[in-house]
Amino acid sequence: MRLSRLGSLRQLSCWLLLGEWRAYPLRALTAVAAIALGVALGFAIDLINTAAYNEFSAAARSLSGQADLEVRGTQPTFDERYYPMLATRAGVAQASPMLVLDAAVSGQTSPLKIIGVDVMRAAALTPDLVGVPVADRPFDTLADDAVFLSPAAMAWFKTRVGGRIKLRVGTNSVSLRVAGGLVRARAGQRIGVMDIGAAQWRFQRIGQLSRVVLKLTEGVNLMAFKSALARATQGQLQVLQSADETSRSASLSRAYRVNLNVLALVALFTGAFLVFSTQALSVIRRRSQFALLRVMGVTRAQLLRQVVLEGGMVGAVGAALGIVGGYALAATALHFFGGDLGGGYFPGVQPALQFAPLRAGVFFTLGLAVALLGSAAPAWEAARAPAAQALKSGSEEGALAQLANPWPALVLLLTGALLTLAPPLDDLPIFGYLAVALLLIGGIALMPRLAGAVFRWLQHLPTTHAITTLVLSRLANAPGQAAIALGGVLASFSLMVAMAIMVASFRVSVDDWLSHVLPADVYIRSAASGNTAALSPAEQAMIARTPGIARVDFMRLTQLNLDPARPAVALIARPIEVSTAANALPMVQTVAVPAHSLPIWVSEAMVDLYGFSPGKQVRLPLAGQWRDVVVAGVWRDYARQFGAIQMRLADYRSLTGDTAINDAGLWLQPGTTPAQAIARLKVLSFGAALEYAEPGEIRTVSLKIFDRSFVVTYLLEAVAMVIGLFGIAATFSAQILARAKEFGMLRHIGVTRRQVLGILAAEGGLLTLMGMAVGFVLGWVISLILVFVVNPQSFHWRMQLHVPWGLLTAVAALLLLAAVLTALIAGRSALSGSVVRAVREDW
Amino acid sequence: MRILIVLWTLSAQLVFAATPVFTQVMPDHRLTFPADFGAHPDYRTEWWYATGWLTTPDHKPLGFQVTFFRAATATDSANPSRFAPRQLIIAHAALSDPAVGHLLHGQKSARAGFGLAYAQVGDTNVKLDDWTLKRSAEGVYQTRIHGREFDLDLRLSPTQPLMLQGDNGYSRKGPAPGQASYYYSAPQLRVSGSVSRNGQRVLVSGSAWLDHEWSTRYMDTRAVGWDWVGANLADGGALMAFQMRRADGTPLWAHASLRDASGKTTQFDNAAVQFKARRHWHSPRTGGLYPVATELRTGSVVWQLTPLQDDQELDSRSSTGAVYWEGATTLTRDGKPVGRGYLEMTGYVKALKL
Amino acid sequence: MLELRHLTKSYTTGRRVLNDVSYSLAAGEFVAVMGDSGVGKSTLLNLIAGLDSPDAGAIIVDGIDMAALDDNAATQLRRARMGFVFQAFHVLPHLTLQQNVALPLLLNGADLRRADAMLEAVGLGGRGADFPRQLSGGEMQRVAIARALVHRPALVLADEPTGNLDPDTAQHILLVLRDELRSNGASAVMVTHSHAAAATADRVLILSQTGLRPA
Repeated sequence: MRLSRLGSLRQLSCWLLLGEWRAYPLRALTAVAAIALGVALGFAIDLINTAAYNEFSAAARSLSGQADLEVRGTQPTFDERYYPMLATRAGVAQASPMLVLDAAVSGQTSPLKIIGVDVMRAAALTPDLVGVPVADRPFDTLADDAVFLSPAAMAWFKTRVGGRIKLRVGTNSVSLRVAGGLVRARAGQRIGVMDIGAAQWRFQRIGQLSRVVLKLTEGVNLMAFKSALARATQGQLQVLQSADETSRSASLSRAYRVNLNVLALVALFTGAFLVFSTQALSVIRRRSQFALLRVMGVTRAQLLRQVVLEGGMVGAVGAALGIVGGYALAATALHFFGGDLGGGYFPGVQPALQFAPLRAGVFFTLGLAVALLGSAAPAWEAARAPAAQALKSGSEEGALAQLANPWPALVLLLTGALLTLAPPLDDLPIFGYLAVALLLIGGIALMPRLAGAVFRWLQHLPTTHAITTLVLSRLANAPGQAAIALGGVLASFSLMVAMAIMVASFRVSVDDWLSHVLPADVYIRSAASGNTAALSPAEQAMIARTPGIARVDFMRLTQLNLDPARPAVALIARPIEVSTAANALPMVQTVAVPAHSLPIWVSEAMVDLYGFSPGKQVRLPLAGQWRDVVVAGVWRDYARQFGAIQMRLADYRSLTGDTAINDAGLWLQPGTTPAQAIARLKVLSFGAALEYAEPGEIRTVSLKIFDRSFVVTYLLEAVAMVIGLFGIAATFSAQILARAKEFGMLRHIGVTRRQVLGILAAEGGLLTLMGMAVGFVLGWVISLILVFVVNPQSFHWRMQLHVPWGLLTAVAALLLLAAVLTALIAGRSALSGSVVRAVREDW
Repeated sequence: MRILIVLWTLSAQLVFAATPVFTQVMPDHRLTFPADFGAHPDYRTEWWYATGWLTTPDHKPLGFQVTFFRAATATDSANPSRFAPRQLIIAHAALSDPAVGHLLHGQKSARAGFGLAYAQVGDTNVKLDDWTLKRSAEGVYQTRIHGREFDLDLRLSPTQPLMLQGDNGYSRKGPAPGQASYYYSAPQLRVSGSVSRNGQRVLVSGSAWLDHEWSTRYMDTRAVGWDWVGANLADGGALMAFQMRRADGTPLWAHASLRDASGKTTQFDNAAVQFKARRHWHSPRTGGLYPVATELRTGSVVWQLTPLQDDQELDSRSSTGAVYWEGATTLTRDGKPVGRGYLEMTGYVKALKL
Repeated sequence: MLELRHLTKSYTTGRRVLNDVSYSLAAGEFVAVMGDSGVGKSTLLNLIAGLDSPDAGAIIVDGIDMAALDDNAATQLRRARMGFVFQAFHVLPHLTLQQNVALPLLLNGADLRRADAMLEAVGLGGRGADFPRQLSGGEMQRVAIARALVHRPALVLADEPTGNLDPDTAQHILLVLRDELRSNGASAVMVTHSHAAAATADRVLILSQTGLRPA
């Protein structure tokens, strides 16, 4: 049975590990569970988002099929005369024109994407967009009353081949025959394909195209072709490669996905902290055991490895469980809720979960890394401790002495503060997140020093009560151990405070904003969604003439593509005057503009993304021409993350000749109620087709959407909190067990059992209070970063700070209660052992 | 006489709101040139169909076929869209080389419009992207085809007057009146130009036959397919013959015309025209059984038709829905070669539903 | 076997605890070191073990000067050549008796079977699977003695091995220790306050401000 040296050391490791886990299985399990939960959440969120995003972009890509390039205009449609120009251009092998519309559907809040194709051109380039007619009607693909629906669209309309669907055009509707299916549509992809000529006709888009996809002849330089074409069309046409399309659809949801991932990682971070406190306390408890091993001939490196190995095992097991759990969680979520996690970025997408070995590897490594990181400091401390002193009991606090060094913490805090000044990296608030992390770690690292100072000060308060004296002197003189317990409270509470303040600030700001942007008495919309419903000038006049209506603001909503790699910008034309713009819009900045210039007012995102700063002269592509306009002001917009431009309706009409409108705000004459006005409008010939809403309803719906988009955020927060509580429980119980001797002694000298429990409750309560106080300050600072750095940089949303005192107080009370209870429960189990033995036994 | 399954089916299917009214083919109509070289968009279907034999520099024979179809659809005339598919242009091209063993072919289709695809009126000028067929003022046809497997660039120069088929260009296709087309042929065209395959361009010369036919009602409902042959005779004569077949293979309608070297034309009606199979070829791809070697009788004259190669089947079911055999064929009389032409056989895989 | 040459050691507070301590321990010799509290008895053991280093003087173990060794080398030497018995037993609570005794064997990569033999030798045969919490103090110290000698060290350092035991048990344990030292041929330095304990040693030495002198 002679073993090799390596084998024996491995066996020794094994003995020590198993011994420790056998003795404290719950503690090891807690640490494993914390890591597992953190990894599972992060991995699940990442899987869901990735699956949704992949599905979403695959659906977007399927519209350009096998094409090399996609040409589109700066507005949703462009003149079809560009089509022959593109088709006959040198280097073009094939060109397929498309008209893409978001057809409004009466009674539905989302539109049906209708793609008009020339089937003979599409067959080669976008075969997925070729309808499959029934056997005896092969030429329905050219019919002007036929539409081919994807399976998801058929299910949505509850129709099948041979049925009919109704889509909105203007204030009327067109009925189309369902001539067949789209067999290669992606699951959940809701689209309809029809003949391009029929689509132009039926949807009143004569002479317009949305895009032309191109296949180039072999050997043509893609980049050269792209730039030459952009030049030849003076920028009126944008040429997109599939890479552009990918980056465009990526940027649609990227900030959201990254934010959610970071949030999920917070849970993992709390888990790391839990591993740290578990390991730190376990190392302190085993100080003399490790010293014995050192005396008996275990080297420093071996001891270091042993402690790191313990953390590593916790991390590995936890991370492995987390990967499995995350996968199951993602599968469940996708099955029941689809790919949208409430943010609304992936509507209707039904992604399939893909096994992602690389991502699994990343998250496993993350879980393992945080566990190793959590045990690194305790391991170092264990190996470094002088063996002879450590063999003696009572030296535990000395082990934590260097925790009290405030300088590393201060450096972290300062670095964090400086990082908040950094600009976004690649449109993401990377430095903002980093600042939050540094502040958090710095705050936790500063705790021992802070706790010592505070409790020492408390100790000097005049008191004659023995128990109080005991409690305060322990907290003051063993700040290191106190701080470890505090760290968990601090981490979870500060994050909770930060998120609560951020969400509350956002919600209050949105609420204020809604009341500002909804000044009219009644709002009408041509349709709830899509871009095919509109009101003609004659219909507009009829609305304006309706009795009881004092004033109507008509609004034209359309889109501009200013950058091929970014999502489209909203263009809103409405009656605004330069002098009164500040009343009409939630303006944050205005400048005087020259009298003869065309003013536009841009949302804050336009300043961030396109540099449309106030007073600047910029060019907008309108109706095929570049127009010089001047930025007259910047307004706040919580509705459109990728930018919005407002201009005067009269300017828009004279520049584009487009006289249709989508929305209108109605001011009623005194004595007319909204219900009366709506009733009068509904009897107009087109009145029944419109959507009516009062500002209150819009506000309610908007806030409901807002809350839904934060559900996942709350959920992740809650999990981080629970892990934080785990940490508190683990820390308390570990400390109490370690202090069994002390309590045994107290019991010997006549302290009652109840008093001991009182000591524990008081210590736990005081520590938690301390943690929460510091956590509140830290959380408030972090919320400032979230509100003023992370949000503007990710979503270009700026807001006012608002602290939800009620919520914070409630959570604080809950946390305090949980902490005291934990201390008591742990104390009871510690006191159940033999008092005599506790004193006699050295450790 | 040409393969038109696609266009017919299409016309039959597109019955929507305001169906356009097509002009009917009537007897006693005088063809006028050059206007009738051009397209006739008021008629439902129309085609220009060039077939011929080419000789490569190393004296190998090649057969070629270039076809442009025009089909008017029943698209609602109220649709103001320039994309409305009022006229479709469809083109087929094939190259027959015994060294390959089967047909090389290419096909394209598009709606007419935007100058990308058209069939112009006034003179022959048909275009489908980079496939063209155009007649010059001097009467020379120029065609350019850029297929995936081959390119053709050919000049077809007339050496003889036009051959008006049927009754001065009024060609009956079935027993009912109105089952007819306007139809003329340009036989004995002298061909020069080039054929490119795999990046290798070779100069070719030869002789060709061009048909131009337009109609609104073409085929009797009882017909399942047809056989057609057009051949340039070595002595300068020209022969055209067709029969419409019933499901049982018996002829429903047949016609032939023979113009001798001196320009004298003889017409043969139903009973005087007989197609008789001599040898069949079984298509391994489609299962079709084609009488690739045929005996044709026109009046008292018997012609033996022998294919350049057996496999000259063109399967375009995936795009146009048609499978047909269209191949270069040698004509012999009394065992002596007398001419070369093209034979077309349709409806052998599946009865054509018209 | 062990040679102490003019050892001097002061605490960081400046108080001198060892002053010119010299002694030469023969192989197989078992000495007891007595002295007043705070005179530096434990410090002397720490110096011999290589856990601490002297301000002046030399400790030669098996002809090797401990001062010349870095921590790793000292650890290796300790692991292979020394055994320890403490007043507070220091038996790892979560390992079985057999595992506790086998620790030095594991560390030295030696055959583990000797652990059972040693348990047998100290009178704990058949209890290898028990955990320390099931033992009395005397039994715990037997485990410690078994552990100290299991890997046949040349030198055993014992720091008040009977300090936590009642006199009867203490006497018994000392006999076990002495027997085991003899049967393994090991030398030993035992620090103790107890004259009874000291009496079991081959020689008794007194540590004082002036050095280490025979009693």
